Amino acid sequence: MRHLSRFIVPLIGAALAAAPASAQQVGTATAVNPQSESTPPGGSTAPLVVGAHIVHKEQIHTTPSGTVQLLFTDKSSMSIGPNASIVIDEYVYDPNAQSGHMAVSLTKGALRFVGGQLSHVGEAVITTSAATIGIRGGTTTVIVEPNGVKVINHFGIIKITNGTGTFLLTRSEFGALIKSWNTAILDLGRIPPNEVAYYQAFAMSHPGENGGVLGFHSAQISHCGTGQVQDPLHGTNCAQTFWSPTDNAAYDASQILGNATNFGSSPIPPPPPPPPPPRNPNR
Amino acid sequence: MSAFVPAAFAVCSAATAGAQPATTFGQNLDPLFQGILTRPSDFNNALQYAALAPSTDIESAISTYEQLLFYNPNLASVRFELGVLYYRLGSYEMARGYFASALKMKDMTPALRERTEELIAAIDKKLQPDQFSGFVQTGFRYQTNTALGPGPQTVLASGGAFNPRFAKQSDWNWFGAFGVSYIHDFENQRGDTFEVNAVGYDAQQFKLHQFDIGLVELRAGPRFGIQSEFINGLSFKPYVIASGGQLADAPYYGSAGGGFTVHANAGQVALDPYVEVVRQTFRNLTLYPLASRMNGTLETVGLQASGPVYSSLSFQSRASFAHADASFTPYSYDSWAADIWLPWNFSPLGDGRSWTLIPTAGVSWWQYKAPDPTIDPTVTPNILEWRVGLGLEVPIWRLLYLGTLVQYRADQSNIPAFTMRDFSVTAGPTLRF
Repeated sequence: MRHLSRFIVPLIGAALAAAPASAQQVGTATAVNPQSESTPPGGSTAPLVVGAHIVHKEQIHTTPSGTVQLLFTDKSSMSIGPNASIVIDEYVYDPNAQSGHMAVSLTKGALRFVGGQLSHVGEAVITTSAATIGIRGGTTTVIVEPNGVKVINHFGIIKITNGTGTFLLTRSEFGALIKSWNTAILDLGRIPPNEVAYYQAFAMSHPGENGGVLGFHSAQISHCGTGQVQDPLHGTNCAQTFWSPTDNAAYDASQILGNATNFGSSPIPPPPPPPPPPRNPNR
Repeated sequence: MSAFVPAAFAVCSAATAGAQPATTFGQNLDPLFQGILTRPSDFNNALQYAALAPSTDIESAISTYEQLLFYNPNLASVRFELGVLYYRLGSYEMARGYFASALKMKDMTPALRERTEELIAAIDKKLQPDQFSGFVQTGFRYQTNTALGPGPQTVLASGGAFNPRFAKQSDWNWFGAFGVSYIHDFENQRGDTFEVNAVGYDAQQFKLHQFDIGLVELRAGPRFGIQSEFINGLSFKPYVIASGGQLADAPYYGSAGGGFTVHANAGQVALDPYVEVVRQTFRNLTLYPLASRMNGTLETVGLQASGPVYSSLSFQSRASFAHADASFTPYSYDSWAADIWLPWNFSPLGDGRSWTLIPTAGVSWWQYKAPDPTIDPTVTPNILEWRVGLGLEVPIWRLLYLGTLVQYRADQSNIPAFTMRDFSVTAGPTLRF
């Protein structure tokens, strides 16, 4: 018995240690519209509610009416549209080192990924049946459609890889379609604005829904330049103005004028030496 | 008994590390963000976080405003805020989607509607393959030293005297300025474009017409995107440069050449190193009979950088080195220059329209190659210039702004004739398009 306990007790301890570790919370369901469900590893499927812990290896499923937003500890988020299914395959994040890695499988439906620290320092990966989608510092929409997987880049660098090679999306609102793992990745070019708007609204509450939180009726937001939000029209995307550092003709004109004054103009020559005194004809 | 100790330790440590009670989950994170993770339905906490996050992390602010939009999809202000944040990321179609949907919300105010419509118009312009943008400005300027010259009694070491007509004198001028950018987007994944930038400036003095000056500069060239897995927005652009100017109402200056620039983003900072070589030609005028001695080649290497500093404060900067070879050796020089601009947007009237305050500072150093016998045959000139300024742009109506700029320049030199000070005040309306 004594020998037995020497082996069994540590094994039980190790087993107990392993079970909670695999259930470590990696994020939170911050908004849930019914019906959405989750299945933690080794657990049973249950309706997802706001504030629910999201753990490693958890499966999230939305019904045709359900939408969900998940927020992760690295500040990345996923807005998941109706009739979708995802699994948090891997998630490791050290907030002190601000490093780790993240991998998610999307088997059906659509999601919008908004990057956090992990995608800023490395690559967050969304795996689909047709390709793996690496997201660096970015925001993207991934849609699993009957005819393949569509990827729309909103910001950052999106690296799409499948059996035929790698394709980079580096421009906002440009997209690619991947029909299967063994077919070439199609360049879709710029995605039309109405399609982008459609998927924007797709993974979001619809009129009458509240994401599982009641009472949010107004937002006192001060717009543009009061410390919260910079007026984008004044950003560096604008044409430069007279006061700006670059492409400034007034500044160059001033330099030309200064040089003209210093060098182009002619100094007044020194006065001629005084004439010699007249000779005395009497000498 | 001893075997129970490691087992118990394992169980305890597992309980601590794995169970993660709510009080410790995310404890190393920003407290407001931790609040969102542990109490997501506390939307006041989320609003506070979303208000602060854009200064350091636009994407995180987007996540939070999208969370709030889940709670109430009918709020125009939240949709507007998301539009602004996506706009700042350069995700114009996402921005447009939120702006357009904001216009349909019942709580949309007239002021917010006006701003939203302006931004949609700006986005629609940016989404065109052929994009024009620019500004036109006019106004008046007062300078204490229009000539940028020395005092009127300056005697030169050569024995001559500095021409008092070019010495320090105050005057007013009327000026007009414009800047026009044209971009043709080839709409490919690399982001190739063809870009043309033209800027112009003309100033007509009230009294001192020897300082009437006009200048037009043109830069044009293709920009080629470079797709990189690791660097976002990388591109390079060869371009041609041409400029022409007049002084004292007569043709005076021309230049032609080329340049090469690279664009890269390091985080939120845009970097644009460049190199330019231009051939400069000056025409002798009655008032400027020695100007053609400055004919020669000007080579410049520089770096422009811009990005956010904090919240609505951003920076723009330029540092450069130039080498000028003039036909008359004493007019050849090496120069170093650095300038920084710190635009700060704020809304003192609370009407949603931004005023912009722009403190500026700069320094330049010129080291000439040889003494100028007509000025001082024994001393090789050098000049150190400091300049500081404060600009203010106030929105008047839609794309019409009123600009004011106060500037002070001081040149110190080992040649008294090159020492000068100038204080100027400029004001006038600007129309952007």
